[in-house]
Amino acid sequence: MLLARKKKEKIDPDILALSKIVGAKSILHHKEDLLSYDCDGFTIHKAMPKAVIFPKNTEEVAAAVKYCADHTIPFLARGAGTGLSGGAIPLNNEVIISLVKIKNLLSVDYENRKAVVQPGFVNLKLTNSISHKGYYYAPDPSSQYVCTIGGNVAENAGGAHCLKYGVTTNHILGLEVVLPDGEVIEISPNGVLDTPGYDVLGILTGSEGTLGIVTKIIVRILKNPESKKTVLAYFNRVEDGSQAVSDIISAGIIPAALEMMDQTAIEGVEAGAFPVGHPPDIEALLLIEVDGVAEGIAEQIEQILSVCENHHVRDVKVARDEEERGRWWANRKTGFGAMGAISPDYLVQDGVIPRSKLPEVLEEIRAINKKYNLRIANIFHAGDGNLHPLILFDSRIEGETEKALLAGTACLKACADAGGSITGEHGVGIEKKEEMRFIFSDDELEAQTAIRDVFNPDNLLNQGKLFPTPSKCMDIKKVVKPI
Amino acid sequence: MDEILVEGSLTKVANRFGNMTSHIVYPESEEEVAMIVKEANKDGQKLSIVSGGTKLGYGGIKSDYDFTLSLKKLTGIVEHTAGDMTVTVKPGTTMQTLQHFLKQYNQMVPLDPAHSSASTIGGVVSANDSGPRRLKYGAARDHVIGMRVVYPDGKVIRTGGKVVKNVAGYDMNKLFIGAMGTLGVITEITLKLRPLPKYSSVVTLRVQDEALHDLKAFLTHIQDSMIEPVSLELLNPKLSKNLFQIEEYHLIIALEDVKKAVLFQEAWIDENKPTEAIMEVINHTEDFWITFNELTPNSQNDFQDTTSGVLKIGTTNMGVFPLLQECDRLNFEGNVEIFVHAGAGHGLSTLMISGLPENVVQSIRSIQTFSEEHGGYGIVKHLPLALRKQVNVWGQLKGPLTLMRGIKQKIDPKNTLNEQRFIGGI
Repeated sequence: MLLARKKKEKIDPDILALSKIVGAKSILHHKEDLLSYDCDGFTIHKAMPKAVIFPKNTEEVAAAVKYCADHTIPFLARGAGTGLSGGAIPLNNEVIISLVKIKNLLSVDYENRKAVVQPGFVNLKLTNSISHKGYYYAPDPSSQYVCTIGGNVAENAGGAHCLKYGVTTNHILGLEVVLPDGEVIEISPNGVLDTPGYDVLGILTGSEGTLGIVTKIIVRILKNPESKKTVLAYFNRVEDGSQAVSDIISAGIIPAALEMMDQTAIEGVEAGAFPVGHPPDIEALLLIEVDGVAEGIAEQIEQILSVCENHHVRDVKVARDEEERGRWWANRKTGFGAMGAISPDYLVQDGVIPRSKLPEVLEEIRAINKKYNLRIANIFHAGDGNLHPLILFDSRIEGETEKALLAGTACLKACADAGGSITGEHGVGIEKKEEMRFIFSDDELEAQTAIRDVFNPDNLLNQGKLFPTPSKCMDIKKVVKPI
Repeated sequence: MDEILVEGSLTKVANRFGNMTSHIVYPESEEEVAMIVKEANKDGQKLSIVSGGTKLGYGGIKSDYDFTLSLKKLTGIVEHTAGDMTVTVKPGTTMQTLQHFLKQYNQMVPLDPAHSSASTIGGVVSANDSGPRRLKYGAARDHVIGMRVVYPDGKVIRTGGKVVKNVAGYDMNKLFIGAMGTLGVITEITLKLRPLPKYSSVVTLRVQDEALHDLKAFLTHIQDSMIEPVSLELLNPKLSKNLFQIEEYHLIIALEDVKKAVLFQEAWIDENKPTEAIMEVINHTEDFWITFNELTPNSQNDFQDTTSGVLKIGTTNMGVFPLLQECDRLNFEGNVEIFVHAGAGHGLSTLMISGLPENVVQSIRSIQTFSEEHGGYGIVKHLPLALRKQVNVWGQLKGPLTLMRGIKQKIDPKNTLNEQRFIGGI
């Protein structure tokens, strides 16, 4: 086989050059090896890369990037490939620079509350590495047991606990970045706040891998709160659940997490790997967690319970112990995957709305559900208005995938029309490129691509992501203008 | 729209601090801002932007702009939805007005920069300014969720949105926060809010010079403990004398939570504090912070004969200790007087240096160098124009200046807005 291959194939000079940079064992370029890199967590769209390389350090990343830049080869960076919007899909036959081998925890500085990690380091591993000292890393996307911190930076990842503690951008203190021409820059390498100059750190975080490749990350670590209490509340009517969310916040409580699931979502999680026995006939459940100084927790829990009582809660309980709390969270955090138990396929959406518009938007999602005749489960970070409608469909039925995509877009339109956004934590990627027009004007999109041009002038890095392609109606508008 | 040639005290301010001309225009709407900026940009005119006017001594080595655009008349709350905990406000609104408005709803913008009665939200955001409570709440960059910005070509660009969680497109808010008005004119700002704390207190611990190391050990102990301080501000003896009339080191621990939790933390501090430390509890926290926020001078009120400079120093959290010792050394030498409050939990310190002009300049240089050698930086936040020209206001930059210049060039190629106000001559 090997011999036959050698005879047949003329080795591509780019592959040869790249394997010289990273080593022959750290490159994949045969079709069969590349198949698993044709998409990420967004599986509807697929494309084959030219090669996948696995550099071991910053220097190899920089050398590979420089080679690609010099030879006009499109390239992109990839972490664990858990992204849900298609940001790591090689639309242009890219060379994929996988960062999974650059995966160490370089240092932890408890006194100054920071840690230095490499991009391939897995999110949850950081918390696990420092929990013995009573510390943790706050951003906790549901995929945290596998997703990498490099990917978190690219996507500005959120999670269930960002209501109180903020998203990735609030926890990044410094970065080392390989720019698209191969130059390596450092921003706040000591993790000192407010380093003078434009906030390049802030712009890079959440740029979905289109401005540079992160090779070192200085993150803030936090001390575990003394006490945590988790409440589970069941509501017969979704309106009551929504109103309870608003009233908890209005009472001046900022829970660490405030999550909601609707009836279809409950059906899914109960059929999944971590059922906890939620009743099947309720319209909404709330999972509410408060944390802080123990002495102050009881009072907040009492307030939360009384808010729930005021809104006709069917049943409400406080987790007895860490084991029960853990089970409730496992049930919630595996919610997306659990949909696989009740539907052959599902599409996750990620809209954001002002919290007060929750009942109206849920009503609209119900209408979308009817219009497309597809079931939609809703899992959301209700505290910050971040909705995850999960559109259940069967790709084996002709036309259903397209219908699911249309229903997803309709959900995002409903969020945008309510004054919200088309993505709260999953990113735009290729999935929501066109939907960017729901919230940004042409001028505003141009203002953003102008920034990309500063970092990535040749647009070889992760091309075709984030921004809509100039549409026909825009061309027509331009033609019509002079008349 | 008013257009005036100023005289009297404003001219005095302009002459002393720069960044302002005697020809000031006062647009009353975003459309007027856009029109003025667009025309200026077309004609190759340079303009400086001013809002509350407290930061004229901050950055910049110019006073000869063609005119000044003031945001003083662009004020007021545009939108506030209590249930969503967001507010949209115009840039000329003072911090105090904004906080007073939100107080009726038991809410606040969790920012406490200095001079809240005069400084405006537009200025605070443009300078990414923050105060002692940053330890718990973060800075402007953590609270701003959306803006409207007039670009030099007159286009109005919205950044972010009005929801608290949003990753659609680049986080363009970050570009304008802390950009010192060099990229666009902010005409509207939307912020995330927090509930007012149910109860608060300020615990002070004072020790004599030689016990500073005990305070350091105690700070580490606090950070590893269960208590959740809102600020850990360390005052040097000189500043303490101004504030408390006692010339000793003071550690200020602010606590905000439900009453029971605050009292519990006070008791914990009392039990665990260094033996020689004397503890006091301040319950009128609002009055305390108002006084605290006026400890340093600003360009609206600094007309003393002695020269005062204000520095912002960034270090690691524990890097504030060597900094305090360096300030002690300089105070001991006696050429200048240095008043310090150092943020032990976040590493940002404010230094006020008073003395003869040449000595102030010399000390600024020396402290900047010291901070840089310790992996941090020093920025001059307030100093008369003539002296700013003698120092490197932004310190020695190690960051990606090429990218920063590229950003400026892309958005404001003709240097229409606040030319040379920022780092590296941007």
